[in-house]
Amino acid sequence: MKVEVREPILALLFLIPACIGVAALYYYPIVQTLIYSMHDLHYTLDWIKQPATLQNYLEVLHSANFWQSFRYTVYFTVIGVSFQLLIGLGMALAAFGLSPVLRIIVRVMIVIPWVIPPIISAMIWKWLFNTDVGLIGYILVRCGLVAYPPAFLSIPILAKHCIILADIWKWSSLMAMFLIGGLAAIPQDIYDAAEVDGARPWFRFRKVTLPALLPTISVAVLFRSMDALRTFDIIYGLTGGGPGTATETLSSFAYKFCFEYGKFGIGSAYAMVVFLLIGIIAVLYVSRIQGVLRFRK
Amino acid sequence: MKKREYHHYRPYMTRAKQLLAVSLIVIFCLLPLYYIFITSLKPDGSEYKLPLEVWPSQPTLQAYRTILGGGDINFLVPLRNSFIVSSSVTILTLLLSGLAAYAIARLRFRHKIPSLLFLLMGAVIPLASTIVPTFMLLRTFGLLCTLPGLIIPNTIYNVPLCTWLLVCYFAEIPFEIDDAAKVDGYRPLQIFWRVIMPLSGPGLFSAGIFAFLGSWGEFMLASVVIMGVPSAETVPVALLNFSQYYRLQWTWISAGIIVSVTFIVLLAAFFQRWVIRGLTAGSVKY
Repeated sequence: MKVEVREPILALLFLIPACIGVAALYYYPIVQTLIYSMHDLHYTLDWIKQPATLQNYLEVLHSANFWQSFRYTVYFTVIGVSFQLLIGLGMALAAFGLSPVLRIIVRVMIVIPWVIPPIISAMIWKWLFNTDVGLIGYILVRCGLVAYPPAFLSIPILAKHCIILADIWKWSSLMAMFLIGGLAAIPQDIYDAAEVDGARPWFRFRKVTLPALLPTISVAVLFRSMDALRTFDIIYGLTGGGPGTATETLSSFAYKFCFEYGKFGIGSAYAMVVFLLIGIIAVLYVSRIQGVLRFRK
Repeated sequence: MKKREYHHYRPYMTRAKQLLAVSLIVIFCLLPLYYIFITSLKPDGSEYKLPLEVWPSQPTLQAYRTILGGGDINFLVPLRNSFIVSSSVTILTLLLSGLAAYAIARLRFRHKIPSLLFLLMGAVIPLASTIVPTFMLLRTFGLLCTLPGLIIPNTIYNVPLCTWLLVCYFAEIPFEIDDAAKVDGYRPLQIFWRVIMPLSGPGLFSAGIFAFLGSWGEFMLASVVIMGVPSAETVPVALLNFSQYYRLQWTWISAGIIVSVTFIVLLAAFFQRWVIRGLTAGSVKY
C-alpha cells in the first residue's frame, strides 16, 4: 500500500526534468520575445528602463515588407501543403497496390527526402536550379519548353515557386508516411463489402478510402501547415530571401531583423506574428486529437 | 479471376502499373540526390561542362579527398561534432521523455492531460520566435560556441515529439504487467527500469531515431550558437559556410552533401519500418 501513496509524488519527480527543460527553452523565451516586441530595441536588449508600447507592431503592420512576407508565407503554405498532400496520397496509395518486395523499395525511397535536413536539401536544389548546368533547366530545355534555361533564383516569381518545389520534394514524403499509417488502419471489411457490392476502383476510392482517411488527412495537413508557416532553413539556404525581399517569409524576416539588422524589437514582433499564426492552427490540431488523450486514471 | 493472397487484402495493380508507379516514385525521390552524387564524382571544374552527362566520363574521388583529406578544408571535425551532439541528444531525450511519458501513461496522478499538453504544446512555438532569448540564456550560462550549448537545447526540442511517441507506446503495454511486478515486490522505479523499459525497445528505438535525425539537421540554433567557431561547427553549419566560401566549387560542395547525408539516409532507409511506424503511431491511432 505504501507504493500506492507514493505514485503521484513519483510522477511529479519523473515529470519535473522534462517540464523544466521545456519551460526554460520554449515558454520562458516566448514570454521574453513578447516583452522584446513591445520595446524599442536597436542593437541592445536592455528593455528594463523603457515603457511597453505597441509601437513595433504598428510599424510592422504598416510596412510593405511585412505584408509581402505574410502573403508569401501563406501562399507557400497553401500551395506547398496541397501539392504535398496530393503527391503523398499518390505515393501512399501506390505503396498499397504493390507486391511486398516493391512495397519495401517504395517505403525506403519515401523515407529518403524526408530524412535530408532542410538546409542541405536547400543546397541540393540550389545546384539543381543552376542556370547553366542545373538539372531542372536541362530537363526543361530537352523537353522543348524553353530555349534557354531561365535564371531560376534571380527572377522573383520563379524563385518563389522554385522554393515551393524544393519544399514539396522534401515534405511529400512525410505526408506519404502519415497516410500509409492511415491507410493501414482502415479495416478490410469495408473493402470486402464494397467489392461484393461491385464498387469500381474510383468509386471505392471516393466513397470508402477517402472518408475513412479523412481524419488522418486533416491531422497531417494541420501538422504540416504548422511546420510550413515557420519555414526558415530552405529559404535561407536557397535564396537567402532574395531576389530583393521576394522570398522572405515571416520567420526569415524575424531572423534577419534580429541577427543582421540588430532591430530586436521589430524582429520580435515578426516572431510573435509567426507564433500567433501557428498557435491558431495548434488550437485546431489539439481539438482534433483531444479524443485520443485518455489514459489510466 | 483475380489472384488474391490471404494476407494481402487489397488487390494489387497490374504488373506494368506497379513498375510504372515504382519508377516514378524512385525518380521523384532519388533524382536530386543522384545529380548531386554524379557531380561529386566529377573532376574539379568539369561540373560546368556541357552537355550534361548521365554518368561522369572520368569518375574520380578527387572531391572527397579534398574535403576529407585533412588539408585546409576538413569535414571530419563537423562530422565528429555532429555525431557527439546527436548521440548525446538521443540519449538525454530518451531519458527525459521516457521518464515523463512513463509518468503520464502509467502512473496514477491527477492533471495528466494538462501536463502532457504542457510538454507537447512547447513544440508549437517556432524556433524563430524563441531564438533571441535562447541565445541570451545560453550566453548567460557561458554555453555559446560549445557543444553542450547545442546538446541541451536540441534535447529539449526533441522532448515533445518523443514524449508523445513514448506515451502512445507505453499506453499499449498491458497494465497487468505492472500489477504482477508490484506483487513481486518491485518498487515503481524498478518497474520503470526493469520491466517497462526493456519491453519498450521498439518504441524507444523509433523515438531515438527521431531525436538523432532531428538534432543532426537542426540549423537555425546551431548557426547562432556556434558563432563561426570552426571547432564547434556541426555538419549543416559547416556545409553552409563552406558552400558560401567556395561557392563555385560544386564538386566539393556535392561531395560535402553526400558525406553529410550518407549516414542518416542509410540509418533511415535501413530502419524505415520503425520510422514510419513511429510517425504513424502517434498520429493515426484514433
